[in-house]
Amino acid sequence: MRAETLKGHLDGILLAVLEPGACHGYAIMEALRVRSGGQVDLPTGTLYPALHRLERAGLIQASWSVAGGRRRRVYQLTVAGRRALDTERSTWRDFSAAVTALLQPAQPAVNPA
Amino acid sequence: MNRPAAAAAGAGPAGGAGSAGGAGSAVERYLADIAARLPGPARAQAGILTELRSGLLDATDAHAATGLPPAEAALVAVREFGDPGQVAAGFGAEIATRQARRVAIALLVTGPLVGLLWVATALASHLGIPLAPHWPWAGPAPGLRAAVYLVAVAAGVTAWAALLGIATTGRLTRWRPARPRQAPMAAAVAGFSAVSADGLGLAVLAAQLASAPGQLSPVLAGAAAAASLARMMLARRAARRCLAIRASLT
Repeated sequence: MRAETLKGHLDGILLAVLEPGACHGYAIMEALRVRSGGQVDLPTGTLYPALHRLERAGLIQASWSVAGGRRRRVYQLTVAGRRALDTERSTWRDFSAAVTALLQPAQPAVNPA
Repeated sequence: MNRPAAAAAGAGPAGGAGSAGGAGSAVERYLADIAARLPGPARAQAGILTELRSGLLDATDAHAATGLPPAEAALVAVREFGDPGQVAAGFGAEIATRQARRVAIALLVTGPLVGLLWVATALASHLGIPLAPHWPWAGPAPGLRAAVYLVAVAAGVTAWAALLGIATTGRLTRWRPARPRQAPMAAAVAGFSAVSADGLGLAVLAAQLASAPGQLSPVLAGAAAAASLARMMLARRAARRCLAIRASLT
């Protein structure tokens, strides 16, 4: 799945990936890959600016952690982030239901003969 | 395996660049490429590069664990990270936005403080415009009155632009299309308006000193002048930086 296809939904997807618990960048990318069954395979580097933007918007918060001599920036959802994720979910449900209905092949007209 | 310790620890923008060959070098070359394209102060860049480095090294480890030689694992990790120009552009917009937000907040916080000092100076010096226009010795000359109005306009523009800069870079960001050039412009406008407001205030003070120095409250006038001078210099530098970082955005 290409980045353009995901455009507009990446924020919600990142929030969903962080919902179970705090994660660092590489783990987030892996979760995206695994949870999408390999369908989402973005250039990893573009995730990081998106995470920083979500942090600035107050939806996630970051802290540094050191493990194995490697400093990682770990992200977790804020209360506002959880609320935003809920909104994102219900918006997506409405949107996908509408588009699914619209994309369905039209029923052949019943000929009253 | 010759991953340099400095690279793992993340020491500054080009940290660990001394590595030769192996897993470290492809990662460090890639990071140096991004560092060269990032705008803003080195401090802002250092954290970003440390974070990217650990991500790249995590990916390298994951690929090496599948049996790839370290150097090849690093190359795959770098390839997966994507075009360094694209990554740097994403961060550039973020750095610019954060800087603009900081400048806008600083201007909005200091504005009322400096303004209060000037109002206190005017009141203590019986220049209460327009509170006491009937005092013959305090009646403001038309030029003074016009200058004070100009100060008020400049202060108003500062506040408006700073508020715009703050509003478009915080929580509202999600509901707005990403326009990374807007906030630095708003912050720069706020900065230059603050410079004008402070400059005009100082000019009014100078005129007053020239015409009727005896009326002025020396302590308050001195404090207001010092505050305005300091803010003028800082605001000018901040505004120029915002314009420079805005120009660097692609």
